[in-house]
Amino acid sequence: MTQDAPRNDRPRAVNGHAPDVFKREGQVPMREYPKNAPVDFVIVGAGCGGSVLAAKLAEAGMSVVLFDAGPFFQPRRDFASDEREQEKLYWLDPRISDGDDPIELGANNSGRAVGGSSVHFQMVSLRFRPEWFKARSKLGYGRDWPVDWREMWRYYDEVEEALKISGPIRYPWGPDRGRYPYREHEVNEAGLVLARGAEALGVDWAPTPLCTVSAPSGKSPPCAYRGMCKIGCSINAKQSMLITYVPRAIKAGAEVRDLAMVGRIETGADGRATGVSYYRDGKWRFQKAENVVAAGYSIETPRLLLNSSTAQHPQGLGNADGLVGRNLMVHANDAVWGEFDEEIRWYKGPPSMATCEHWNYADDDPSKNFDGGYSFMSQGPLPGDFAGTLTSSTGMFGDDLLEAMGRYNRMAGLKMVGESMPQVDNRVTLADETDELGLPRAKVTHSFCDNDRRLQGHGRKFMSRMMRAAGGKNLFETQSTAHLMGGCPMGDDPETSVTDDMGRVWNVDNLWICDGSLMPTGGGVNPAMTILANAARIADRIIDARFD
Amino acid sequence: MTHDRIYDTFRRRTRRPVGGIGLGAIVAGVGLGFVAAGLAARRPRSANPVKRSRNKREALRLGRDGAAIMGASVLFDSALEHLRGDFRRDEMYVAPLTGATAMAAALAEPRRRKRGRVLEVTHLSSVGIGIAGMGFHLRNISRRPGGISWNNLFYAAPLGAPGALIMSGLFGMVTHRMAQAEGYEHLHGRELACLTALALVAESGEVALLHFRGAFHDKAMYLPVTLPPLAAAGLMAQAIYPHRHFRRPLTLLLRAVEGLGYVGTGFHALGVARNSAGWRNWRQTTLAGPPMPAPISFAGLGKTGRAALDLLAVGEDQPRQNKERAAI
Repeated sequence: MTQDAPRNDRPRAVNGHAPDVFKREGQVPMREYPKNAPVDFVIVGAGCGGSVLAAKLAEAGMSVVLFDAGPFFQPRRDFASDEREQEKLYWLDPRISDGDDPIELGANNSGRAVGGSSVHFQMVSLRFRPEWFKARSKLGYGRDWPVDWREMWRYYDEVEEALKISGPIRYPWGPDRGRYPYREHEVNEAGLVLARGAEALGVDWAPTPLCTVSAPSGKSPPCAYRGMCKIGCSINAKQSMLITYVPRAIKAGAEVRDLAMVGRIETGADGRATGVSYYRDGKWRFQKAENVVAAGYSIETPRLLLNSSTAQHPQGLGNADGLVGRNLMVHANDAVWGEFDEEIRWYKGPPSMATCEHWNYADDDPSKNFDGGYSFMSQGPLPGDFAGTLTSSTGMFGDDLLEAMGRYNRMAGLKMVGESMPQVDNRVTLADETDELGLPRAKVTHSFCDNDRRLQGHGRKFMSRMMRAAGGKNLFETQSTAHLMGGCPMGDDPETSVTDDMGRVWNVDNLWICDGSLMPTGGGVNPAMTILANAARIADRIIDARFD
Repeated sequence: MTHDRIYDTFRRRTRRPVGGIGLGAIVAGVGLGFVAAGLAARRPRSANPVKRSRNKREALRLGRDGAAIMGASVLFDSALEHLRGDFRRDEMYVAPLTGATAMAAALAEPRRRKRGRVLEVTHLSSVGIGIAGMGFHLRNISRRPGGISWNNLFYAAPLGAPGALIMSGLFGMVTHRMAQAEGYEHLHGRELACLTALALVAESGEVALLHFRGAFHDKAMYLPVTLPPLAAAGLMAQAIYPHRHFRRPLTLLLRAVEGLGYVGTGFHALGVARNSAGWRNWRQTTLAGPPMPAPISFAGLGKTGRAALDLLAVGEDQPRQNKERAAI
């Protein structure tokens, strides 16, 4: 590292410039707004929800300031091919996690950087099954979304086009979704294990639609299949928010404030939001705003609303009915691993290049003993990650671990993204303990229900069958979770939801939520595309409402 | 995965699957050697005792160059793509070597007085090996999960690529035959027009598949799937119903197709530059990016197309010449 290497602990989007994410050095001009004059929108969180909203609102001519607690990275300079170094992308501040099945918080469900967890997500870009948007009325479980699936379908199209999703020409499940903007990637050996297994069991499989380009796009080179996706793409093939919607927002006149931790949404005597208090560059500051949007994902958004209590909002903003933070969901991330005679070298290419959504659509299968669904994908964990999986799941250590890791290049795995039911007692609350800024830490309480466990058991059994059919030996299973959904579900009824269908918090008409915490149900697919599409939809609704 | 003998030898010697640079040098050396051999085999044109019309000489030259360019394209393209495939099977060496011999044999044309059996055998073996190559590629595709699926058509062994070898052999053979015979120019012209038209369509088909794989991310990628089929239609019309009409615009179109071969190489060089780290990282990006030696085959087909038109012109002039001769 050179002497004048930039530090991650000092804001970089300052003095009218933001880092140029496509270069090792260099900056792009960025508009700045005064703190004491209200901007149209302050958005808290520059992930999949906040970045899309910021770009679209700024492009519609509104003044926008986009906050993120994490640094503004320049991938080509700041991202190392080193798992430990890249832990800087995760939100690793201590939180308190309890319940019967406490969630491990960090790499699999958080991000702390401009771009949010899209900087290190595994790029799996699936759509919800249409019926899931009316899960309660059509499938008899969970909750209904206040949105029609066809509307969401249009916004999936929009964000998939913006991110040049590289996917198959015909997708085997669900209604026709047209052709993905870019072609599918070459399926790696790990993906072909899933393909062989699926063909042997007679179920469909598909090359996974991925958020990394298979041909040049703008300033992005095509994916070079380095396989470091999960620790941040250093060549900018991955279409993360950091290199797509955030630059779009800046170009359209939005300001990004990196390393700015918003601690409170301030409200006036009328109960409406007046701006946000945030900590940046050593001190607390205040930004005035006409509208405030919380987009910090399922833990930080509830934490922020709960911590913004006043005499008028004694339980926190939007929490008159005590719903903020409830109905938090995860995805079961159980996996089956096995050894093969031939070399697989599963670290090559994006980690999940083949997918099977069979159990998201097979309602009538007699063996289906659960509500909801699950998909699963081929796997390509990096060595540190896999060693961690072995240690934490099997207790393996020392020589045993060394010997097991010696088989790393001949391993393959299947990992599920399994739906879990929304439950009111799975929730985010404020702990008594505070962090170094004096903000109460989040306390996350989580337990699986019986249906969740049946689904996970079914998944592990089916994935084991498939691994065996593909030629896998010495199988073993692991259990974990990934992703977060819910916490502030949107809905049609103020009694049972935190926001209306456009993310506006009931009773505080200039406070909005725009992130994964709005999701009433989690579905059996990775949530990124759904969060993006919903954010694009909310942006259009806000723009329409404003200009009507 | 099983590996063949040459692969294993390389692996033992270099402790790497294939010494990339070393092997590239060998392939390039072999290619250049064959170019030299081909040039040496050329007969000085002034030695031709019988005077030929300018058009016929031009047609022979164009046919020869077209076949040679196709051979060269196969040589370098298959060397590149098979290098990318680590030359895992020994058969994979056959493609660049046959490309080199096809090119050399084409350059040794036109032979007028000698029968040239060696050349004939070489041309025909190019065709045979091209067909066998297609079989190998088809087998490679059908063995992978998914069978004839988009993923395999995009990324497994390209089904259409060995076709260039077949074309090189056929064009060499046609050039050979038309050098040997006088008086059949019109027939040869129609044959060559038909053959070139089919080759253009096949080539455009392969380009369409691969540019579709690249999502036509650059508008220029539409050029090689629009101009060549137009030229093919024109040539096919000439093959079925030879007519002087439209021959001038068709010639221009064929020159454009030829130009596409040169410009396309440039575009592919830019495409390589758009891969991660660009030309600084050439050992990776020339393999991962668009294949540099591929577009040049259009230059070859542009030339054979014009050769066909020249031959048709020769054929149409002949009765008049014969009449003039009779009058004297």
